[in-house]
Amino acid sequence: MRISLTVNGQRYTVDVAEHKTLLRCLREDLGLTGTKEGCGMGECGACTIIFNGRVVNACMILAVEANGATIETIEGEATGPGLSEIQTALERNNSAQCGFCTPGMVMSIKELLRDKPKPTIDEMKEAIEGNFCRCTGYVQIIEAILDLTGRSAEKGELKHV
Amino acid sequence: MFDDVPSSQLSQVGHNGKRDDSLEKLTGEATYVSDMTFPGLLHAQLKKSPHARARIVAIDTSRAAALPGVRAIVTGDELDYRLGLYVVDKRILARDEVRHYGEAVVAVAADTIEQARAAVEAIDVQYEVLKPVLHHMDALQPDAPLVHPDLGSYSYMAAAFTPQPGTNIANHTKLRKGDVEKAFAEAEWVVEREYSCPSVQHVPLETHVAIVEWGKGDKVSIWSSAQSPFTVRNLFCHAFGLSHNQVRVQIPYVGGGFGGKAGIGIEPLCAVLSRQAGGRAVKFQASREEEFSLLPCRSALTYRIKTGVDAAGKIVGQHMTMYWDSGAYADYAVNVTRASGFSASGPYEIPNAWLDAYTIYTNKPYGTAYRGFGHVEFHWAVERHMELVAEAIGMDPFLFRLRNALRPGSLTMTGEEITAHSGNVLKCLETAAGAIHYGDLTNEEKARQAATGWKIGKGVAALQKAPAMPPFTATSVILKMNEDGSVLVNLALTDYGQGTYTSIRQIVAERLGFPLHKIKVAFESDTDRDPYDWQTVASKGLLLSGNAAILAAEDLLHKAYAVAAEALHANPCDLGHDGDKVFLKHHPKKSVNFSSMAVGLALPNGNGIGGPLIGVGRYIAQGLTNLNKDNGEGFPAIDWTFGAHGIIVEVNEETGEYHVLKIASVYDVGRAIHPDIVRGQAIGGMLQGLGTAICEGYIYDQQGRLLNPSFTDNKIPTAKDLPLEIECYVVETPQVDGPYGARGVGEHSMISVAPALGNAIQKATGAELMHMPMRSEDVWRALNHKEPIDNWITKSPIGSCRSAPEARPGGGR
Amino acid sequence: MVYEFRYLAPKSVGRLCAALTEHAGAAKLLAGGTDLLPNIRNGVFKPDYVIDLKLLPGAAKLQYSQVDGLIIGPAVTINDLLRQRSVRRLYPVLCDCAHQLASHQIRNRATVAGNVVNASPCSDMAPALLCLDAVAVIRSAAGQRQLPFSQFFTGVKKTALLPGEFLEKIIVPAASSNASGRYLKLKRIAGHDLGIVGVLCTLHQGRRRYAVSSAAPTPVLVDGFSAGDGPEDVERRVLAAVSPISDVRASQEYRRHMIAVYARQLLQEVR
Repeated sequence: MRISLTVNGQRYTVDVAEHKTLLRCLREDLGLTGTKEGCGMGECGACTIIFNGRVVNACMILAVEANGATIETIEGEATGPGLSEIQTALERNNSAQCGFCTPGMVMSIKELLRDKPKPTIDEMKEAIEGNFCRCTGYVQIIEAILDLTGRSAEKGELKHV
Repeated sequence: MFDDVPSSQLSQVGHNGKRDDSLEKLTGEATYVSDMTFPGLLHAQLKKSPHARARIVAIDTSRAAALPGVRAIVTGDELDYRLGLYVVDKRILARDEVRHYGEAVVAVAADTIEQARAAVEAIDVQYEVLKPVLHHMDALQPDAPLVHPDLGSYSYMAAAFTPQPGTNIANHTKLRKGDVEKAFAEAEWVVEREYSCPSVQHVPLETHVAIVEWGKGDKVSIWSSAQSPFTVRNLFCHAFGLSHNQVRVQIPYVGGGFGGKAGIGIEPLCAVLSRQAGGRAVKFQASREEEFSLLPCRSALTYRIKTGVDAAGKIVGQHMTMYWDSGAYADYAVNVTRASGFSASGPYEIPNAWLDAYTIYTNKPYGTAYRGFGHVEFHWAVERHMELVAEAIGMDPFLFRLRNALRPGSLTMTGEEITAHSGNVLKCLETAAGAIHYGDLTNEEKARQAATGWKIGKGVAALQKAPAMPPFTATSVILKMNEDGSVLVNLALTDYGQGTYTSIRQIVAERLGFPLHKIKVAFESDTDRDPYDWQTVASKGLLLSGNAAILAAEDLLHKAYAVAAEALHANPCDLGHDGDKVFLKHHPKKSVNFSSMAVGLALPNGNGIGGPLIGVGRYIAQGLTNLNKDNGEGFPAIDWTFGAHGIIVEVNEETGEYHVLKIASVYDVGRAIHPDIVRGQAIGGMLQGLGTAICEGYIYDQQGRLLNPSFTDNKIPTAKDLPLEIECYVVETPQVDGPYGARGVGEHSMISVAPALGNAIQKATGAELMHMPMRSEDVWRALNHKEPIDNWITKSPIGSCRSAPEARPGGGR
Repeated sequence: MVYEFRYLAPKSVGRLCAALTEHAGAAKLLAGGTDLLPNIRNGVFKPDYVIDLKLLPGAAKLQYSQVDGLIIGPAVTINDLLRQRSVRRLYPVLCDCAHQLASHQIRNRATVAGNVVNASPCSDMAPALLCLDAVAVIRSAAGQRQLPFSQFFTGVKKTALLPGEFLEKIIVPAASSNASGRYLKLKRIAGHDLGIVGVLCTLHQGRRRYAVSSAAPTPVLVDGFSAGDGPEDVERRVLAAVSPISDVRASQEYRRHMIAVYARQLLQEVR
């Protein structure tokens, strides 16, 4: 089936098999491999993208459902030569370890800050609750969000005794 | 090396900076094997065993072979290869008999993944179901079915392991020190208890994935999401009888490992498919469900400890028996057993010790290395035991720990003397206790307790771990200077998130005296390009590769100085350098730029001297020995990293629910090379440890089928599961032979989180928890003295969580 | 998906009904897909046709009026509910349950209708719809019928929907607006998880009700309390209505205990 969709501001028209997930379409047909698959069941959030303005798990959407949709993925995040504000904050806080959850995590943070420029800590945690990270223990990711919301003073640090 | 340089004199080491890999990871540009594809790539799928133990009667692949797009089908009958790190006991595909649920029986490669899946579904396998042996204690019974009847014919690493043919024992590690029976006879108290924990999954976010191309002339190219490129190559070559020159292993970015990708995994499967498909590259990526059952897990453990204590609260003797559930194959589990055996007391001095540690085959997915390498599991037991012994003898558990903790002059169980440089467990314990105001509740906590009705309790637990590795473990680092005077670092240690490369980069910059931006560590590892490293495991990477990096930097400088000395007509001893040039110390304006020497210096007349500047650093562990197989004596530890956790918990006594209010973690890291990365390891490991403490674990039915092979019923912690408050501390007692005094801390953060929590819960409520994880139901049961939900082998597929005691006569109790 | 199927997206109810009739037994309806697509991935369902109902006119309708109450179209997501001010103001119970369902990503995609047509015993929306007297509007080629949710669930993963029928909309009566209540959901972790048990208690115009999830083959409504009922009465009545099992999430014994604890706690809290 032929579909048209807008991804990161670029319009694509592709022929996709009707049973193919949007995740596989993005990765295999559009070459956008920044979005990852961690479980294929909507549990881990590695495939988080922004679909018509809302974060979703791309592993649980058919590509054909995205006909006419506007999609944002990690590849569209840094629009200039450097990193975006979110990416810069994550970099400053050493928030990525293996990096496999990171693209999805960026998408979740992006939607959060669009909806709630001044989220509470609980709202930060809820926004990334659906994004499993096995490496970082989330704290340095949350600290990046603190940086982004003018609350750097609340961050922790390694204490030497 | 350079352990005694004061922090004030270091410009890179000890400072925070950006990680090398953050740009690629934050933009999605980092390429993992799961992102890779090639023209003509074939996709593999597997037919797996639905049974824990069965004889393969017949396999019919004829329908599958006729399906469109199918390019290769392989069964175990066609593959006469065995694999194994320490005991060579595993086939690439099951042959004659399947030994665990989820084991691969037939492999298919097809043009598309849909075709491969359809082919797998068209394969018929007839089984004769056999009675499995599921619980590791049952497997010790004399009449237990043998998982490996041919154990006696397998080759194994005899210097370290002792399989027992005719039994299910894959290894028996012994340790004998002093006279335990005499110590017990003289002790004031003797306390004996048993502790256990189930198998758990590593859960790397990227599941195991490999691409293999078996080319003409048996030249094999492997791309794998693996931790140890040289180990993959070595084991692969051994299995297939190939020269190491015929096999190339490349490892790009890896989406998490935690030990689960330490050895060899699915690479041989892809290889045999590619070979049969005429050399087309074959890719296989495990589904999340396959990650749980096809690929290895962490071994379950039952640990019985009997401790004699004198009137002053000093441990005089300890008898320890570890029963490790290896699952169907020995893999790393035998070495987990060995390494846990020599460390089995935790960071405490045991003057008289007797230990038997068994690795036991069962018909379950097999155990492997997992962050902590056995220490998470047995510290659960040891640090709960310290609490319970202290309670039994009427001593505060924290003081009991201090009384018995290792200190300079103490001997470990293998006879190694602890020195003032070994690290300071007492300071770790005291810091953890201080951070949570151990001992009583603050006014704020009392007010909270009164308002919520949830009981608040505090617990501490200490930890230790040394790298578990051969005593002669070696590594190497090569520095290559680029034309512009910048430096490329090549090493085969992999960085799958730990941040080791960032620290290596700092170490190289520090030793060279170069700015950080001039140093690059090449991310992808490649056995055809990088110098040898044993494995990326054991928290040994920073220490060994860091030392090799220092030596490589010195070699590079030595060579640069030699060229500069010739060019400047000077004695090398009169030369100095900065980030750009080598100069005469007494005439600093007389200098030669590194960039002009980088690929050989051209003299004004066109003559060349020197040649490309390449620094080589080799490092091999020093002073370690094999352990005596009869009594465990020897020197197994290149370093000991000690640590402690303090936890504050609030518990609802009516429901067993609890919240972790605070956790304080302390490690003696020697020197924190990059404090932010140390903190990232500390918190990441802590939450992973908390996951195994609160909810994680494999649950089987009585037929040995895994009931929770997915995130639906095998939860891991989310951001909402974080303790309310987290504090991370480091003690810095420099390691004399560590790079700038550093020692490893990658695994340690996961160790002893669970017992600190269990101890805090007990302090709050009196609940005696002997099994982890501690789900709210487990706490509720312990509080109400109900029989625990035991052993994680349930009676029926959807029935009770309770095991069937009748299935375990004697059960080792 | 590694299982192949055809995708249909009818743009009228008539065509949808025709497709359902034509492919009866071989088709699955797709709304949010958060349950259907994992089930297809796992080979639990192998439909020949997947029929997307999101292109139906009014599928995403979410509208309140004092006459009709709250109308929830079949494509209304959990977060659509949570984002709509009138729903938050008038149906806090619905929002409490909705908020405890899965993760944010899933709530952005999963539909209210999907959460009930699955008829999972651990549905989080079912307790709210049961306590609020919600009605299922069921459509087929033969016409339309209405069924209160108290008669909608017939067994584990089974509903009163007949072949060829689909849930066209959910109506939460205006009379149920402003019901107060609270949903307590016991999970294994603080993050997104299926419930071990879930207990909802509502109080509306003096009438107390309980609904319990993950405690019986279907979500259970417990009604008919009187104002004088004490904790023991409430506990006894609620426990009498449920029949929890032991599974990998918890034992039957613990489930019963927690249902009782929650029932008593909610009697205190929902006043």
